[in-house]
Amino acid sequence: MSGKERLNIFELIKKVVFTDFVKGLSITLGYNVRGSMTLKYPDQEKWIPYKRFRGLHTLNRDENGRELCVACELCSKACPTQCITVIPMEDDTGRGISDRVAKVWKVDLVRCLFCGYCEDACPTRAVRLGRDYELACSDSSCNLKQREELLVPQSVPESFEGGVVAASTFEASPAGLRVKADLTKTKKRPW
Amino acid sequence: MSTVKINGKEVTVKDGTLILDAARDAGFEIPTFCYQADLMGVGSCRMCLVEIEGQKKLQPSCITPVLHGMSIHTETPTVMSARASMLEFLLANHALDCPVCDKGGECELQDMVYKYGPHKGRHAEPKFKFQEKDYVLSPVIIKNSNRCVQCMKCVRVCGEVVGANVLGALGRGDHQEETSFLRSFLDCDQDGNCIEVCPVGCFMRLPYRYKTRPWDLKGKDTVCPYCATGCRMVIEERDGIVIRAKAQLGVGLNSETLCARGRFGFDFINSPERLTKPLVKRFGTLEPASWEEALGVIKDNFIAAGKNIGGIASARLTDEELYLFQKLFRSMLGSPNIDSSARWAPEAVEGFIKATGMDEGGASAFDCMESDTVLITGTHLSDENPVTDYIVRRISAGRAMNLVIASPRAMKLDSSASQIVRHNAAAEGHLLDAVTLSVYGGNVDKLRDVPGINRIKDARQDDLAGKAGCSADDIKAIARKLTGEGSVGLFAGTEFLRYPGSIPGLALLKNALKALGKKVTIIPVLDRANQRGAWEMGVHPGFGPGYSPVKERGMGCADMLEAASSGELQALYVVQSDIVAMHPDENFVRGALSGLKFLVVQDCFMSETARLANVVLPASSFAEKDGILTNQEGRAQIIRKLLPPPVKAKRDIDIIRAVGETFDRSFGPKNPVLVLDEIRKEVGMYGEVSLAFNNKRNVDNKLDLKEALVKPAGLAEGLNASGLETKLEPKTDEHPFLLATGNHLFHSGRLSRKSPTLIGLLKNAIVEISAEDASALGLMNGDKVRIKGRYYEAYATLHTRSGSKGGVAFIAENYDDVPVNRFFRRGEGVPRVSITKA
Amino acid sequence: MEKILLKNLGRPGFHTIDSCLVNGGYNGLTEAFKHAPESIIQMVKDSGLRGRGGAGFPTGLKWSFIPKDPTIQKYLCCNADEGEPGTFKDRGIMENDPHLLIEGMIIASYAIGASVSYIYIRGEFVFGTRRLEAAIKEAYEKGFLGKNILGSGFSHDMYIHRGFGAYICGEETALLESIEGYRGQPRKKPPFPALSGLYGKPTVINNVETLACVPAIIEKGPKWFSSIGPEKSPGPKIFCVSGHVKKPGLYELPLGTTMRDLIFDHCGGMLNEGRGLKAVIPGGVSAPMLNAHELDTPLDFDSLAAKGSMLGSGAVVVMDESTCMVKTALIINRFFSHESCGKCTPCRDGTPWLTNILKRIEYGNGRPGDVELLESLCTNIFGRTFCPLGDGAVMALRGALKNFRDEFQHHIDHKRCMVS
Repeated sequence: MSGKERLNIFELIKKVVFTDFVKGLSITLGYNVRGSMTLKYPDQEKWIPYKRFRGLHTLNRDENGRELCVACELCSKACPTQCITVIPMEDDTGRGISDRVAKVWKVDLVRCLFCGYCEDACPTRAVRLGRDYELACSDSSCNLKQREELLVPQSVPESFEGGVVAASTFEASPAGLRVKADLTKTKKRPW
Repeated sequence: MSTVKINGKEVTVKDGTLILDAARDAGFEIPTFCYQADLMGVGSCRMCLVEIEGQKKLQPSCITPVLHGMSIHTETPTVMSARASMLEFLLANHALDCPVCDKGGECELQDMVYKYGPHKGRHAEPKFKFQEKDYVLSPVIIKNSNRCVQCMKCVRVCGEVVGANVLGALGRGDHQEETSFLRSFLDCDQDGNCIEVCPVGCFMRLPYRYKTRPWDLKGKDTVCPYCATGCRMVIEERDGIVIRAKAQLGVGLNSETLCARGRFGFDFINSPERLTKPLVKRFGTLEPASWEEALGVIKDNFIAAGKNIGGIASARLTDEELYLFQKLFRSMLGSPNIDSSARWAPEAVEGFIKATGMDEGGASAFDCMESDTVLITGTHLSDENPVTDYIVRRISAGRAMNLVIASPRAMKLDSSASQIVRHNAAAEGHLLDAVTLSVYGGNVDKLRDVPGINRIKDARQDDLAGKAGCSADDIKAIARKLTGEGSVGLFAGTEFLRYPGSIPGLALLKNALKALGKKVTIIPVLDRANQRGAWEMGVHPGFGPGYSPVKERGMGCADMLEAASSGELQALYVVQSDIVAMHPDENFVRGALSGLKFLVVQDCFMSETARLANVVLPASSFAEKDGILTNQEGRAQIIRKLLPPPVKAKRDIDIIRAVGETFDRSFGPKNPVLVLDEIRKEVGMYGEVSLAFNNKRNVDNKLDLKEALVKPAGLAEGLNASGLETKLEPKTDEHPFLLATGNHLFHSGRLSRKSPTLIGLLKNAIVEISAEDASALGLMNGDKVRIKGRYYEAYATLHTRSGSKGGVAFIAENYDDVPVNRFFRRGEGVPRVSITKA
Repeated sequence: MEKILLKNLGRPGFHTIDSCLVNGGYNGLTEAFKHAPESIIQMVKDSGLRGRGGAGFPTGLKWSFIPKDPTIQKYLCCNADEGEPGTFKDRGIMENDPHLLIEGMIIASYAIGASVSYIYIRGEFVFGTRRLEAAIKEAYEKGFLGKNILGSGFSHDMYIHRGFGAYICGEETALLESIEGYRGQPRKKPPFPALSGLYGKPTVINNVETLACVPAIIEKGPKWFSSIGPEKSPGPKIFCVSGHVKKPGLYELPLGTTMRDLIFDHCGGMLNEGRGLKAVIPGGVSAPMLNAHELDTPLDFDSLAAKGSMLGSGAVVVMDESTCMVKTALIINRFFSHESCGKCTPCRDGTPWLTNILKRIEYGNGRPGDVELLESLCTNIFGRTFCPLGDGAVMALRGALKNFRDEFQHHIDHKRCMVS
């Protein structure tokens, strides 16, 4: 019986000194001094994801600038949503690493679920899911990404480590809205 | 019979059966690369090694026959490790560029490694490379030797089946490379059978190169639309464009073989020149119109023409379409004037049907080749029907038989023949008469009552042989072979239709041999996919469906044109037939057609005939319809629709029905299946023909499905075969060459001229004469020459052939730049021409 | 011992028919025509003569497989495509005593009823070809070849076919393909050449040395022949000794002579007295090598087979202690991979692979596990090839691996050779 009584005494003391109340308030007060968690996106800050992030597809080139894609269509075969279409052609002018290159390589982003199977299937590491994630637009035209767009290097180079917040500028032009990150000015994320 | 145990299961097989076949029959799988049923076994790939109890070493099952009491194991760890090790060796120097390789996805090496192979590589050395880049071996073949598994199937199929013998091996050991002589550009049959048998991506189709992956293709089983051999093949499309035709191992009478036309000639389907809208002539020009308008014009003009109307349907249409076409004319329009060929006279057709016994039901070419003596006459088989040529070559090499070839022109098949006879052009009849006379000489008693024997029995052997242009010894040798032991097979080709005077000779020989109590099997060798079907559906002025007699005999093509020029015939309905290009004497045809009040042409392309038409209807190709085609043997085979007809074009059966419906809404039946039902009901020959064999595989490799053969018509009488004669222009010093015509190896009619690949194989016209004649004229192979007839002259490239009979100039009927029918003049005989250097 | 095969070796001028006839040449042929063909086959059977080409198949038995029907065309082929490294016995016979071979061939042809025979001679033997051509011409002139030989009613024609330098054409069916004008690749067996050989007709293929034994058997009787050497493999045999011995060369000795006698008695011992014997290849490079302690093995077909090696063509290659076995294995294997005809998978792709690995080991780039890889590849090749060429390559390598495995391992582990 005495143990139970002692417990009750502790409870009583806690109640008297408002322990729970202080605990809760300390969390609240803590946030007041820890600084902001909100990113000032898009006009000042932009989150640069980690390397493992799976964003917009990119088609890579080798060090000589030749397309790595050999249009083997394995990505389109592996795709669970059948959102990738590849049509091969022959071109031995040195456009690609082999004389088989893609005439058409397009991905339907509405269907894509960014699972990364295409990356895994690719025998030449030509297709990678990059770190561009601003895919929204005001009409459906941009949902279909063609080879030409995907061959343009993405805003975040492969070598960049990622997982940081970069300073950014917001540009609104007739061509569309763009958030441009400055990868030289980065900071750790605030949380 | 031998009884053997395979993996403990007891099976009884014929003596001499290969262990491989026995095991496969028993349901055990044995992988192979170098084994192919139709080819000689070599046992080189070592994939099929099996364990036989009591033998130390593993044995190759593809060349080892079973012995009674053998106990064979095909799935022991030793066997499995042997398979894996063979695959490891093959992969050691394999290029492993599967992502780029066109075969990737349907590669036998991939499949086998996936199934049996080592899944980890141990070969860490640099690989030997034959060459860095794929090289073009011919206009249709591209080659990458780095992927080769050295199964030698390409070399063997080229030599044993195709007979071209242009492939061989260079180098030795792991540097051995199967290719042409020093990798030179191939000048061969271009049939691509080497591509088809290649288990890996070593031989590849050039037109198909880097177009797709096999899993993107949608295919349909169909039949080749060119000659009447009736090769089964699969055409495959991606995004609405047909990009490949392939044959399947063990399917159809052709198995994996096709000729250049079949394998590469499908691309006319995708031609941008295809007609897509109905056209109606307004103020002298053809302008696009709606179907309603076009059909309205047709109805008005057909009504105006009344019974003075004729119809010509192509022998490439399906049986259903042809049946409906004759029904439209006979029962709807009330006109008996229909024909299925612009080239042959109706009487000749009837005589030929009777002589070859087509009304007695289908006969299999394999049965014919089972005969002890086979005579091939009236056809240049190697060029006209290449796959029939393959069948003859393959079977004749495998058994002891007499193969006699009688032809004015030398051909590839000659090397398989036991006797070759070169006779004068258009002299098939004289040759066969001489042979019959020789047969008669020894069997007067038995042959006295053979009908028609009186025609020749008093002739002199030397006269007939002289007319045929061959020696009496040759004739006697043929007669001796035909009257010798065993049965007789005959392949009788289209020369008999071209020169109808020869038909009585064929009929007489057949009757004489039958009177001697011999089994005679005759295969008519035809050059249009459904020529036999067209006749059996009754698209002929002299007989109805199933060779049934007609009440009123109509006009054939020539008579219709005659009537048109005299104004008697007012309207003509031409379906997919180019009579301007095909009927002898082009000027006459043009004149006759312009004399018509109304001409409807239904075609896939703007043909020469269509340009003269009042209404042009866009029709569909073989890839766009369902139906059945009857090949030369009388085998009814299904074709299936792969694509919809382009834009506003329609299936021919729908167009024919729509034309009929403008007169009577109930004209039908409404779809091909119902038409076939009606054919089965109305035409006895087709009543019990089985079509249930689509994609049925021939496990016994006989490739002979007899249930598909049409049944006898049971109508012995009723065919009018009188007035058959061959007219030749008299020989003059001015025009020494008799003009022969037919199809070129790469082309069939004018349809194949719309195929870019086949045009790439042969674009410009060639004229062929014998090498001896050429050297007498001081001409060389490849020279540009002027061909001059009495009415037309043209320029072409000279092609010489050694071993042909002299005095014959051959120009195929396919070339639009040298329309061979312009040399002909109506009412005059087969023309003669002169050839001089241009 | 009286020399039978090499009796004219080193006697200038004895290759001509005149000196040959003086010395009793063609006596065997004259004797043979006194017997019926069947009894000649029986005599050869009784003599116990076994094929000297390598396999040791009883010659009389081989002849007796030929159908007796006189209407069938038959052929005799003499296999003079002596390509095995270290073998030069047939060359000795052909260059120095061509008439002995021709006589043997005529007798063999008479026995089997062949009207035509071919000598398939290695293309590099230019001198031998000239000697043979001259000898055949002489034989025709003297009436030993041609129509109705020596009035016996037997007619025979003999042709020389020069090979084009392919080891595989020493395999009997590849030899036939080569004579017919095809690629030199072995044919499938059955049917065996005795039923369907050259041009699809019954054919006997014998080695030069085998055929050269025949005249003596006929002349002196099978009993005399079988009394030479051991019971199971009687007769004289030419040993081609090369390598580290004082007197390399051709030695005609009875079968059953021990290796020790051959090397130390006849050949005068090791070349360099200071170095001991390391290994001997007893019968051409495809025979697995023997160790120094196996020197007392009698050199005959059965004793060597019992030791896991074979007599082969009788090419004895002696190697002393300074020899690197990895290099030896590499040289032998490179030969086989170069000579592989390309027909079957394991030999075509397997032997070059073995060569590559051996090259790697020899040049100090060996990797751990390479010896096991070699052994595993040997297992995969052995017994699965189309003809014995692949087996020969494997047997040679296996012999080296069995006896000198540590030497291979040393190469891999220390990147350098053990002996030099």
